[in-house]
Amino acid sequence: MSLVVFVAVSFGFAGLAVSLRAHAHSVTAVGIVGLIATVLAAAAIDPAQVVIVGGGALATTVYLRVFLVLGSLVGLGLGVAGLAGGTRRDAPAATLAILGAGGLTLGLVDPRAAVLVATAGGLFGILVTLVPSGGPSGVTVGIREMRVVVVAGALAIAATSWFGRDLSQLAAQPVVFGLAYLAFAVAVAMRFGAIPFHLWAARLTDAVPETALPILTALAPASLAIVALAWIDASVAPLLVDLGAARAIVLGIAIASIILAAVAAFVQDDIEHILRYSIIGDAGVVILAMAALDPEAWAPARRWILVVIVARGAFAAWTAGIRAGFWTGRVADLRGWARRSPILAVAFILVVVAGVGFPGLVSFDSRTAIVELALDGPLATIVLLGTLAPLAYYGRLFAIGLAPPDRVLEPVDRWRPRVTPLDLTAIPGWLAATWHANRAFSTASVAVLLGVLALATSAGAFGGPAAAAGLPPGLGIPNEISEPLGPGDLPLPSESSGP
Amino acid sequence: MNPALVGVALAVVVGAVIAGSAGNARTAIFGLVVTMVGVPILADPAPAPLALAARLVAAVLAGYLLWVATRGDRVRTSGSLVGWPTDAFLAAAATIVGFGSHGLGAPAAGPPVAAAAGFALAALAVLPVVTGGDVLRIGLGLCLLLGGALLVRTSLGGTPDQLEQLMTAGLVATSGAAVAILTVTAQADRHAVDVHPLGPE
Repeated sequence: MSLVVFVAVSFGFAGLAVSLRAHAHSVTAVGIVGLIATVLAAAAIDPAQVVIVGGGALATTVYLRVFLVLGSLVGLGLGVAGLAGGTRRDAPAATLAILGAGGLTLGLVDPRAAVLVATAGGLFGILVTLVPSGGPSGVTVGIREMRVVVVAGALAIAATSWFGRDLSQLAAQPVVFGLAYLAFAVAVAMRFGAIPFHLWAARLTDAVPETALPILTALAPASLAIVALAWIDASVAPLLVDLGAARAIVLGIAIASIILAAVAAFVQDDIEHILRYSIIGDAGVVILAMAALDPEAWAPARRWILVVIVARGAFAAWTAGIRAGFWTGRVADLRGWARRSPILAVAFILVVVAGVGFPGLVSFDSRTAIVELALDGPLATIVLLGTLAPLAYYGRLFAIGLAPPDRVLEPVDRWRPRVTPLDLTAIPGWLAATWHANRAFSTASVAVLLGVLALATSAGAFGGPAAAAGLPPGLGIPNEISEPLGPGDLPLPSESSGP
Repeated sequence: MNPALVGVALAVVVGAVIAGSAGNARTAIFGLVVTMVGVPILADPAPAPLALAARLVAAVLAGYLLWVATRGDRVRTSGSLVGWPTDAFLAAAATIVGFGSHGLGAPAAGPPVAAAAGFALAALAVLPVVTGGDVLRIGLGLCLLLGGALLVRTSLGGTPDQLEQLMTAGLVATSGAAVAILTVTAQADRHAVDVHPLGPE
């Protein structure tokens, strides 16, 4: 089955990269080759297959393929940007493992099994926190990340287990339903580092390279969020019980994340933390979709998740481009960055348009739909305006970029591609020198490419909107393994249809 | 009630008490391995042989990686702040709560002893996870928490199918590997036998 191939490729290359981690050049090459292979394997996924294994099942959908193709492209882009701008040697391996876990998570029919894999996928991110020299901050951040991932996993396991059985003879009070729903929603919020669970994520920003941030804090938790959305739609939303208190808490987390993250990003002094808080703000919209308790939120939420992964990946590449080009991430030291690097200015505009969007773009319409489904009245208007608050920190960054540079340390043409004098007697040395001379240009180019990808995703390319409207993977299908099921996605499993 | 399952549940809880309270790192790891080996057995009906084998291999692998990570003399963890008798009483109380609330409001498909042991593991995990002062202790607490969640899942939904058992095995092995990697890195950082202290939040 095509999904099994994808999982085997991603985990195979991840294992190979980890086993070669003592050899810096080899591990980087294996990581990049592995990411290219995952892009191809993801594109080759047949979106209508089921494999039945030992009573469980793996199924593919169109959305699964789109998610993995975009995730793999973002991983590859960030891997190359990290190669040029500087990263950890384990970052490609962690990306590969997270992609493999994400594929399994979205392919598993039973949410009880899916949350296990999503938790394991989060643990792979710990690899990136480890500083080669064994720095204390890396270990401290790593164990804190593990604590969040495992606690969130335990909450998700408990919630899915409580619903995943025959509840026809229920004797519990409705509050138990609310607690199960709250547990899963909080698990997703913790994994995203949403406010008020953001402290670990803020420290993570200090310990990992900027190109790894979207992988660890957006791509890895996104698969858990998609499982949670499917589980809520199938198990919680149809219930005729009052979930008022639990829903209010989830709404509070979502609104706080959307608004406070924008404020926090605006006052941050370095671009990595701005990137981190921008991801938190986007995650707030995902959590808001979980608070909608309306099947209508399913499609816009999954469209939004696709946009977030690609747009934040592009923003991270832009951040890496700034680092590689100007050797600083402090906002105050970046006066004139847009004048000094037109490529990065183009990438930045693409990121802003793709992420914030305008009416007609998937990003804008999905966000608006989620807010309107979850809230009404003045609060909906306030939160809708809050989702546009990222324009404030984008505007601040762009205004600084357009300001006259106060000091220029690098050559004015540093952003352009350069070819060093060819030495036919030492081709490898010439290649290395050329690569080194073009680090800033390479990261900026990757940022532009990911920005174009983000804009295309936001415009509804790659069949994203249609795929997002499909149903989650399910059974109800023949017993034959890998039996084609016809066009479109698969029906819901009968077991997870709720009480 | 199956007396064999009661015996396994007792072993799981005793192992967890040792894992949560021992000051010697390898003693604590031994307790964790006993617990993690017992967790998949606490199911009725018993898991399929292949699935059970995968779970046992994963538990032993996780323990082995932790064992290797704590190589050397006098590798210690901070142990329980309240002492093992208090931990044992806490586990006993949680066991009673878990047994009494089996099903959590609806008929359950798994054995009540799994719920009892699961609640005990979750209760024993709280102190290390929240107040743990070193990487290994927090990591052991997280493994206990994971074991507790898996037991509660078995008690509510019955014996997982083979595919889910395989995924669980992967998660258990990954958790052990993650704690082992962090422990090794912490020791290398300190150039000393103790694992790296977390310090204040």
